[in-house]
Amino acid sequence: MNAVAVARSAMNVSLRRYSRSWGLWLLLLVAPIGARFMIAGDDGSGMQVAIGGHLPVMTSATLGVCLGIVVSTLLLPVAFLYLRSNTTRKNPWQIDEVSGASRPAILLGRFAADVVVLLGSLTTLTAAGWLLGWQIVNGPFQPEWIALPLWLVAAPALIGLAAFRQILDSRPFGRRGFGELIFFVLWTTALVVPIVISERQSNFSNNMADYAGFVRPLVAGSPSSNNDFSIGGGREIMPGRVPLDAESGITAQGYIGSRFAWIAIAIALTAFAGLAYAPHTVLPQRRATGRLARVLTERLPPPPAADAPPALATRYPLSALLLAEFRLIGGGQVTLFLAFIAALFGLLPDFRHLGSPAGLLLLIFGLCAQAGRSEAPCLRHLTKTTATSPSLRRAALVVATTAWAVLLAIPAAIASLSIAPIFLGAVTGGGAALIAVILAAISGSAFAPRMVLLILWYLYLST
Amino acid sequence: MSLLLSKISKHYGRKPVLEGVDAVFHKGLTLLVGPSGAGKSTLLRVIATAEKPSSGEMGWKGAPLPAARILLRRALGYAPQAVDLPDDLTGREFALHMAALKGLDRATADAQFSAITDAINLFPDINQRIATYSGGMRRRLVFAQALLGAPELIVLDEPTAELDSHTAALLETLIVERSAHSCVVMTTHASAQLTRHASATLHVEGRKVFPI
Repeated sequence: MNAVAVARSAMNVSLRRYSRSWGLWLLLLVAPIGARFMIAGDDGSGMQVAIGGHLPVMTSATLGVCLGIVVSTLLLPVAFLYLRSNTTRKNPWQIDEVSGASRPAILLGRFAADVVVLLGSLTTLTAAGWLLGWQIVNGPFQPEWIALPLWLVAAPALIGLAAFRQILDSRPFGRRGFGELIFFVLWTTALVVPIVISERQSNFSNNMADYAGFVRPLVAGSPSSNNDFSIGGGREIMPGRVPLDAESGITAQGYIGSRFAWIAIAIALTAFAGLAYAPHTVLPQRRATGRLARVLTERLPPPPAADAPPALATRYPLSALLLAEFRLIGGGQVTLFLAFIAALFGLLPDFRHLGSPAGLLLLIFGLCAQAGRSEAPCLRHLTKTTATSPSLRRAALVVATTAWAVLLAIPAAIASLSIAPIFLGAVTGGGAALIAVILAAISGSAFAPRMVLLILWYLYLST
Repeated sequence: MSLLLSKISKHYGRKPVLEGVDAVFHKGLTLLVGPSGAGKSTLLRVIATAEKPSSGEMGWKGAPLPAARILLRRALGYAPQAVDLPDDLTGREFALHMAALKGLDRATADAQFSAITDAINLFPDINQRIATYSGGMRRRLVFAQALLGAPELIVLDEPTAELDSHTAALLETLIVERSAHSCVVMTTHASAQLTRHASATLHVEGRKVFPI
């Protein structure tokens, strides 16, 4: 069987599906529009790439480096979110998993399509960078020195991301919420590790630790190899700009080689994911036991009776809906055990940085799973016809999540003899639920809300 | 051309679905009948290698699985009951992709797909997006892709469900034709045409399989 033909077909089909999705055009549009905000103005507004508290002098190469760094660090979760929630997330696995086609070839084809889309977005960003550079660069306008650093920094990170998506899709644990958690952990690791090794000299092996590719262009190109740099927004910027020799930065020893090595690794990992591919399986549901679990899960059905009367309308439809949503957020023994642990965190001092994030992290997974499954297109068509509208159900989900958050904050309130933890739990839980409900309704899946909430959760934890 | 099942059992967690199933499928049409939930679809998934049996052995053309799994898959045409069809592709685009996965030449697969869909009244709609398909059209599309490439083993799970009697009869005619050259195993409700042409009928009930 011709593996090349299989890979080509998988790529073409995925690209065709992408081209018919409005999400692609949004992605291609967002990059150039967002370009202006990826470069900080003199007042520090926008995304800052600062060295020693100063913004760099904006030469063509520095502009390319700054755009690349913003994409390969801060916008990587957005790209991941896009890949995981886009139109190609559904595939006819019931048939293609029993075909004789090479699995690595199928995955390499899908990987290639993802790469084309992500690099297409990088192309539109390059064009926007040229337009921006024409207006703002200090010194000669050199389009090639905008494009080269941008692609050297960002392209390997994006290609690696496409490979990571295939790796997650190849194993059952990666196809679920755990996949987002793994990405989140790896993303934060990829941001921290290069900073730790930034003082080491530039060579191939040290630069390989810099997956996002931002350390060498900043450190090697900055005056006296300054490693006091920051990427992000909101920091107070000192007046005056410092020169950044971005050209020296990206041509530092071993840097370009490490970027190409990451591309090769991404391709190899995708092929490996094909070899390690595990088919979709239906896992048996384990019935929860224990007193609390019995409260939170449906009771055993009554014995069947042929003369059972028609079901009556409940006198409390809203409370029944709330209870149903409350149960579906926190069902399952593992969730209940983790909820118990998260509530115990509230007994520790500093609820804002321990108990509250712990409870919120747990709720993000249960909440997003429920929000996503409720918004599955077929189910939404059905629930539109019921007496309880989808909007009311969404509102019930927000209230039920808030109730969970309050419940988890009760130990903290008792320990501190204050209602502040209750208030904080209600605000964070309700806010998270609101975001989840909106994103799930737009995307029709749990991926988008889960990823966005994980990033917001990280910001909440670290501020 | 024969498929052998020996003492096949399948459990989902602690729940047994099939126990000690012995069967041999030769060229011709074999019908699986039985009540809903009896394990017919599970048996078909095991035959199609979509699921591994919990215990027991399978063989294809005298070679044991899993060593011969890839040979079986290259000879397989499978139409499961439910498929996550890509709604944003047209029926033809989907079928040609499945043809590529089967290792078929694109031009001949295209011609064969046109012929099959014409025989089952789907041809006028093959360039429409799958999102616009009714349940019966989706069922026929999945059936048509299973027949691509003249597979030696054709596994069909309720291919005529959701179809009107006239369209169902068209599918049944194709199935009977194919069974002259292939080993066709399918689940179905009572169908006079299929029953008349079946070389064997197996009753699945109580986790066991009995010849009728």
